[in-house]
Amino acid sequence: MTEVVALLLQEGSTGDPTAIGIFRFFAAFFIIMTLYIGAFAFTYWISKDE
Amino acid sequence: MPIGDLQIPIIGKNVVIAVLVQTHILFATFIIGAVLVAATSEYLGMVTKQPNYERFARSLARFVVLLFASGAALAITFVLALVTLFPVFFSYLQNIFFWVFLVEAFMFLGQIIIVYAWYNVWDKLAYRKSLHVVFGFVAGFFGLMAMTMIDAVASFMLTPPEVDLASSEAVARSFLNQTMVPLNMHRFVGNFSYVGFLVAGWAGLRYLRATREDDREYYDWMGHWGLIWGFGFLIIQPVIGYGYLKGIRETSPAAFNTIMLGDKAWVFNFLALWLTIMTLASTAYFVHKLRFAVKPVEFLRKLSVGALGFMALFTVLNVIPANTSFIPQIGLVFLEGENTQIPLGSMYPWKYIGLIGMMLVGFFVITLYLRATATGFHWGRASRWSQLALIVCAVTVVLTMVTMGYTRETARRVDNNPAYLIYNCITLEQEITPSTCPVEGLEGSSE
Repeated sequence: MTEVVALLLQEGSTGDPTAIGIFRFFAAFFIIMTLYIGAFAFTYWISKDE
Repeated sequence: MPIGDLQIPIIGKNVVIAVLVQTHILFATFIIGAVLVAATSEYLGMVTKQPNYERFARSLARFVVLLFASGAALAITFVLALVTLFPVFFSYLQNIFFWVFLVEAFMFLGQIIIVYAWYNVWDKLAYRKSLHVVFGFVAGFFGLMAMTMIDAVASFMLTPPEVDLASSEAVARSFLNQTMVPLNMHRFVGNFSYVGFLVAGWAGLRYLRATREDDREYYDWMGHWGLIWGFGFLIIQPVIGYGYLKGIRETSPAAFNTIMLGDKAWVFNFLALWLTIMTLASTAYFVHKLRFAVKPVEFLRKLSVGALGFMALFTVLNVIPANTSFIPQIGLVFLEGENTQIPLGSMYPWKYIGLIGMMLVGFFVITLYLRATATGFHWGRASRWSQLALIVCAVTVVLTMVTMGYTRETARRVDNNPAYLIYNCITLEQEITPSTCPVEGLEGSSE
């Protein structure tokens, strides 16, 4: 159902016209932020007592 | 030689590349900018004898050394993923840019060697400070050169020039394609701005958690120093960005239309929103900080309050969308979408007025602030909300980086019919389109 709604809403658009496209957009954003914040936080944590 | 066609389940191979590159860029930009900011701070510490600069430079250099491996590992993983997931495309790219990639690799190596040496001999060269500062700047130079090499490749992918790859001018015309210089300028300035805001945000966080008076003073100063870099370089960006977009419009008009006027125009609405948040938060911080000038500057402060008002006015002009088709990809389309124009939302003249006004007010307010800085501030008295403003700037600058990265890459998709890896030349399915490609000989010699 969700997929059908997403497809209808995007009819004629130039974006990636599938629900999987939207999922991948946010999945990418989530993974980027996780890796980025994780690496920064780890670097700080590992060195904060020096 | 068999060439595989690997697919990544669930997220797809495009997301794999996007994640690796975007995360790498967030680290790489930090490292390039931080080395140069730290070297400049060390130099200022040497000249002014103010201990804050030295402490800051050394801490930042140490963090860069620790973080370097994360950025480098992502770069290597990205190349591996590109070779594996897009082997045909990477092969074509190597044919054009082998020497550029090779130079980049050696610049990267030079940067690693000098950055580690720079940090390692900090005490050993304590009495030869000038030489030590040079180490920092040389490391920064290597980083900038590596960035320049990869900018040539990235800009080529969006704006490939008319060139015969068999001709003697192939290297120069490919390297110096239409958007290479503006992209490089955009990223050069962006390095400083990004690092500045991150430093300011980090300082804000540490200031709020500090329990000792000397720490509060130091982190208050650090927030101020970071914001000078962050905001000072940010207000140059619109004019450089304009030059970059002009290059895209002239060489790849359909890509320009997609990101500026088409269904992906929302990326620039987001950019305007991020700019609004950063400029207003920074200006409000400056207004607040002027209260703590050692030599009272009440008149300057009143002027800066006026500047904050004008800044709000100009930045709001930038945020207003052109029509009610906000984000068509997720159905955020109201009324008649593209046919319903919003007053004050058009690019000309309103967004030009907004952007130019924002820059002029930005220059004005930072000039006032630097004028007050000359006489110094009482450190450690900043309010809680001013530090929160710094943290907001740091979060927003990361969102800006991600938005801009997505924008440049999605511009090549145009209407997805087909989407391109090299604009008009190689599709997302790694097929060459010689009829539209301005580059001759991309498919290689027939001999």
